[in-house]
Amino acid sequence: MTQTLQKVDHSALKTNQIIIISLNVLAFILNLPILAAFVAVMMGIGSALKIPGFGFVYKNILKPRGWMKPDVLNDNPEPHRFAQFLGFLFMTAGSIALFVGASVLGWSLVWLVVALAALNAFGGFCVGCAVYYWLSRFNLPGFTKQPPAGTFPGMKPKIGASL
Amino acid sequence: MNSEIVLRFGLAIVIIGLGAFAYWLINQRLLVRASNNIFKLFKKLPNKPVLVYFTTPDCTPCKTVQRPAIDRVSSLMGEKLQVIEIDATERPDLAKTWGVMSVPTTFLLDARGEARYVNNGVARAEKLLEQIQTL
Repeated sequence: MTQTLQKVDHSALKTNQIIIISLNVLAFILNLPILAAFVAVMMGIGSALKIPGFGFVYKNILKPRGWMKPDVLNDNPEPHRFAQFLGFLFMTAGSIALFVGASVLGWSLVWLVVALAALNAFGGFCVGCAVYYWLSRFNLPGFTKQPPAGTFPGMKPKIGASL
Repeated sequence: MNSEIVLRFGLAIVIIGLGAFAYWLINQRLLVRASNNIFKLFKKLPNKPVLVYFTTPDCTPCKTVQRPAIDRVSSLMGEKLQVIEIDATERPDLAKTWGVMSVPTTFLLDARGEARYVNNGVARAEKLLEQIQTL
């Protein structure tokens, strides 16, 4: 099926994931639920604005200074937004759990977000995107995109995408 | 307070270590797959180390970082190293059988055709040279 793909800068997504990982690990080490809550808020703002929550770090610091090169691929941005929204939900649930004293549940949810972000940043597999594509197979409203041609659902596109 | 931070730091290291171990296991599986599929690349082994480089035409880091790094390694090693570049858009079958998940991906094979290293993502010239020295 031919569909219109957009240019998605995966370096912005990777920066976002690495910052999420770093802040969450720091929150755990320093036992700072407020820092985990801050990550949740940033992911929520990113979801609302349809941008990576910490994408401004890439856009305003890393990219202009040449510290990180753009990695622009033909891809669907919607699954990545959905993945961030899922992360936001997990982080929010984790933060609430931490604030009400359910530390094990709270930190488990935070570490789950860390693991999924690491899998995306270092392994090139976006679990949230895979869930999006899986839901799109059931024709759920709002889940209309298909994986780029030749790309396994959730994997970073590597095969020439059809425009 | 300090001991709690140390404990949490240790726990974080253990969790990250487990993640890194899982990543290492996946890479080992990739190397086994590459070794098992070596004869899809060669009819006869070249009897020297081989660098197999998976790329695509629209991969920006491949052009800006990986390609120059491989050119540098290739010019330093000369005839002692064979470089094979594979466009994953032209050979999706090879990308699939070798378990390539993203580009750039580089494999280093020793003279016996055994895959010894896999680099998912950009591998700098220094890193490639270090790996080649151990083959």
